[in-house]
Amino acid sequence: MIPGKYRSVSGRAANNVNCGLHLVIQTSSLPEKSKVEFKLNKETPSFPGRLLQHDLERNYSSRQGDGRVISPSPRNKSSCISSTTNVTDLCGLEMKTTLSSLSAFGESSIQTPSKSRTRQGCHSAGPNVSGDHIHLASSSMPSFPVLQRSSEEKILYSDRLTLERQKLTMCPIIDGEEHLRLLNFQHNFITRIQNISNLQRLIFLDLYDNQIEEISGLSTLRSLRVLLLGKNRIKKISNLENLKSLDVLDLHGNQITRIENVSHLCDLRVLNLARNLLSHVDNLNGLDSLTELNLRHNQITFVRDVDNLPCLQRLFLSFNNISTFESVCCLADSSSLSDITFDGNPIAQESWYKHTILQNMTQLRQLDMKRVTEEERRMASVVAKKEEEKRRESHKQSLLKEKKRLTINNVARKWDLQQHRIPSIATNQDRNVSDSPSQDPVSAFPEETGSLDSGLTNALQGLSVLDTHLVEVDGDTLSLYGSGALESLDRNWSVQTAGMVTTVSFTFIEFDEIVQVLPKLKIKFPNSLHLKFKETNLVMLQQFNALAQLRRVDQLTIDPQGNPVVNFTLWKYYVLFRLSHFSMQKINGTEVTQNDMIMAERLFGILAHVASSELPQYRLISILGDARKKQFRYLLETKGKKPGLVSEENNDSKKLAGENTNRATLNYTTRDFYNERLEEIKEKKKFCKMYMEDLVKEATEINMKNEALQKLWPQMFIELVRDAVIEIRNKNSYMKLCLQQITDQK
Amino acid sequence: MLSPERLALPDYEYLAQRHVLTYMEDAVCQLLENKEDISQYGIARFFTEYFNSVCQGTHILFREFSFIQATPHNRASFLRAFWRCFRTVGKNGDLLTMREYHCLLQLLCPDFPLELTQKAARIVLMDDAMDCLMSFSDFLFAFQIQFYYSEFLESVAAIYQDLLAGKNPNTVIVPTSSSGQHRQRPTVGEASVLEGVEASLFYQCLENLCDRHKYSCPPPALVKEVLSNVQRLTFYGFLVALSKHHGINQALGALPDKGDLMHDPATDEELERLLAQIPGLVNSATANPEASCLPSRTPPRVGSPWRPLHHARKLDAESDGSTEETDESET
Repeated sequence: MIPGKYRSVSGRAANNVNCGLHLVIQTSSLPEKSKVEFKLNKETPSFPGRLLQHDLERNYSSRQGDGRVISPSPRNKSSCISSTTNVTDLCGLEMKTTLSSLSAFGESSIQTPSKSRTRQGCHSAGPNVSGDHIHLASSSMPSFPVLQRSSEEKILYSDRLTLERQKLTMCPIIDGEEHLRLLNFQHNFITRIQNISNLQRLIFLDLYDNQIEEISGLSTLRSLRVLLLGKNRIKKISNLENLKSLDVLDLHGNQITRIENVSHLCDLRVLNLARNLLSHVDNLNGLDSLTELNLRHNQITFVRDVDNLPCLQRLFLSFNNISTFESVCCLADSSSLSDITFDGNPIAQESWYKHTILQNMTQLRQLDMKRVTEEERRMASVVAKKEEEKRRESHKQSLLKEKKRLTINNVARKWDLQQHRIPSIATNQDRNVSDSPSQDPVSAFPEETGSLDSGLTNALQGLSVLDTHLVEVDGDTLSLYGSGALESLDRNWSVQTAGMVTTVSFTFIEFDEIVQVLPKLKIKFPNSLHLKFKETNLVMLQQFNALAQLRRVDQLTIDPQGNPVVNFTLWKYYVLFRLSHFSMQKINGTEVTQNDMIMAERLFGILAHVASSELPQYRLISILGDARKKQFRYLLETKGKKPGLVSEENNDSKKLAGENTNRATLNYTTRDFYNERLEEIKEKKKFCKMYMEDLVKEATEINMKNEALQKLWPQMFIELVRDAVIEIRNKNSYMKLCLQQITDQK
Repeated sequence: MLSPERLALPDYEYLAQRHVLTYMEDAVCQLLENKEDISQYGIARFFTEYFNSVCQGTHILFREFSFIQATPHNRASFLRAFWRCFRTVGKNGDLLTMREYHCLLQLLCPDFPLELTQKAARIVLMDDAMDCLMSFSDFLFAFQIQFYYSEFLESVAAIYQDLLAGKNPNTVIVPTSSSGQHRQRPTVGEASVLEGVEASLFYQCLENLCDRHKYSCPPPALVKEVLSNVQRLTFYGFLVALSKHHGINQALGALPDKGDLMHDPATDEELERLLAQIPGLVNSATANPEASCLPSRTPPRVGSPWRPLHHARKLDAESDGSTEETDESET
């Protein structure tokens, strides 16, 4: 198979060379062997094939080798792209081993027995040509070998010269070969390019696999179109100023760290910089004809300037260090690029890799050596659209979140201030700083406030951000921050939202203020089952009484932060006792057990009993208020019956009425309201006092008069009787008097 | 009307002194407040109920503080109500903080002042340990003294300070007795020479006070008994002694003796009945015997910090006593 491939390559080439070279080298460094004759029996593949051989990458796991990149020779550019790697492989390996030992040097041919089979295989593939004899003789300059070819060879291969694997440590002086168009120094030990400045017609120069450290000595080779410097030790791209018509430049396998001094190569079509030390790609301006750029196996992290290459079609970036699309985003601006590889980069591992690339580079026809299908493109655009939406959404959300955070901070600060937790001087400065960002939400989100009720669905629904408070509906949770948020309960909540809310959380609001809106809460959010309180100043057990008026509470969460009542040992039991009609499931996240219920009853049952059964009826009425009068009447009625019956019926009534009646007397009035009531009572008392004073004074006065009368009466009676007796003592005169009176009356 | 004292005073003053006016005023006030409701079932009925509840001591439930403290009867009624309602808390063995006791008080009287609770707690605790836990009985008896005799105690405090400041020429002033130290408890039968004031002198002043004091004060004989046991004592020592004195408790008449504090069969019975009513209670049969014998401690409860605070305090007192001993030996 391999020879076959080889054959096809060589066949396509203009002339297949199977040249045996006969080298006579005379060097000063080998004094004893003044004349060393090399007899080289080897075939040389045609140029296109040989070019490919330069890239000695062994990484054939992927379908593309770097070698294929430099496929075309100036003459037949696109003919043999795919046949290359095998040939390279074969020849490269073979040559290396052949030249491996110095003992091979000598008059005999340098083939070693072990490798002969392969080589002969190659050999037999080509036409059987006896080896050329090239004599390298020392010139006037003692250090350089001088190359001479026999005239017939010159005629046969007038325009090419191949000096492969000749152990050359320097370029020989080539005389009388001014017409040379192709020169091959592959696999030597040349450290410096020299002695070729006279070859001004040279088009093709191959110095693959040498030890060149600097590009030099090329300034006169103005017609050079192909320069192959692969596998050398070049650290810097330089001295190419005069090579204006350069078409192919191969610098793979060197130690180049940056791309430079190439901007004048406006005819350059192929540039191979694979296996170098490039950390990034830029300085690509002026390479107007570049169609292929090979950058595999570098350490590239970002790519720039590629959009300045108008003809670039193929770009190979495999096995680099690209991890984000942003670092190669200029690729999206290149309109000519149709083939690109990213495999072996971190970016290729990302889930978004393919569709992001395809979305951003619509002109692409191949990605990582695979044809891009319409379907893939469509998918990519769909995914990208989704991604974009998601991004926008998340951006919006993060914006909202930030605003929420700011507002909550602001509310918290106000709360702290209100609670006198922070010295006011410090906060004033704080406020100045933070007021400016928190102004934003007010101005930026008025419409959010308005639309709060309308489009509330599962995700984050709406955010009404004001400076002093925050109302948020998130799923089934209604969160209220700051006392101003309580006003939101007055709004017209949509039925859907209201029905969905099962958790209501209060933060930074005085509990007393919450108490006032509880009736509203009950009406607007009939399904609220879980109440959360944080920083609400719950300090007394009696405050829990206020929660009894709600319809249903399954869970209660009282955050210890800002609620000192939680520090009490008894608070949980009191809650259970007072809110027993809700038969709560959880308190502060802990399941309520039956033991808890019994304990609660045991601790506070007597209180309820005393409160209900021992309170005078007039007090019961006033405490229970109008709404509970019905229940109270019921209680009144049952009071007269047998105790056993009472308890049973009480049970029934409990079930019917919901709230345990004997607990209803334990209610909570907020401090302000209570103080108001105390004022009222005080006034009434004052009136009563005056009224009673008058009354009692009157009564005591009457009493005193009465007593005085009682004291006087016996004496008075005696006096009266005595007067009467005295009057009637003289009967005759008394009768006369009486008669006189009667006649007078007539 | 049958009282012979009645004749000694003008009627109005007599009524005022006996707090009849207070109740009458309050009755009218209540009537005024609920006139719609009361008119439905009769004013005569209302007055009957009102004065019945005054007699039973249930009239103070959930009333405002100004009314609760208005008469000694109201105070005693409140003490009794507090004991009855929260005896179960004490029975459960929970030690509570001053604030928590205050909350319990507020359940019965929403505007009960914190100051009074603090003062009561100060009798039980050291001044600097106000956040410590107290047992129910300790608090209750201290609270009883503080609440029932609050005006009297204020006067006593003033007298005590005067004595300390040496306004009475007979007082020996000890330089070391700073205000921080006079909180110390006296040990019965042992005289603290360096602290407090001399008991006999103190008693003379108190006797004088009791005579002219228009508010209720403990029977002078009992005060004498308290003070006769010691030679010197501090103000808080005096209060502690008062609060622990059986005779004063009996004279006050609101609470049972300390030994019987947890004993109240009537309410226990009622409690059992209530427990049996808890909806969903599975085996009330097993719960009942448990309730009847009422273990002082129920299964361990979360968030109930059981700290043997009182033992610690008593130890303190003992160590104090030992220093007193050495002090005494020095002098």
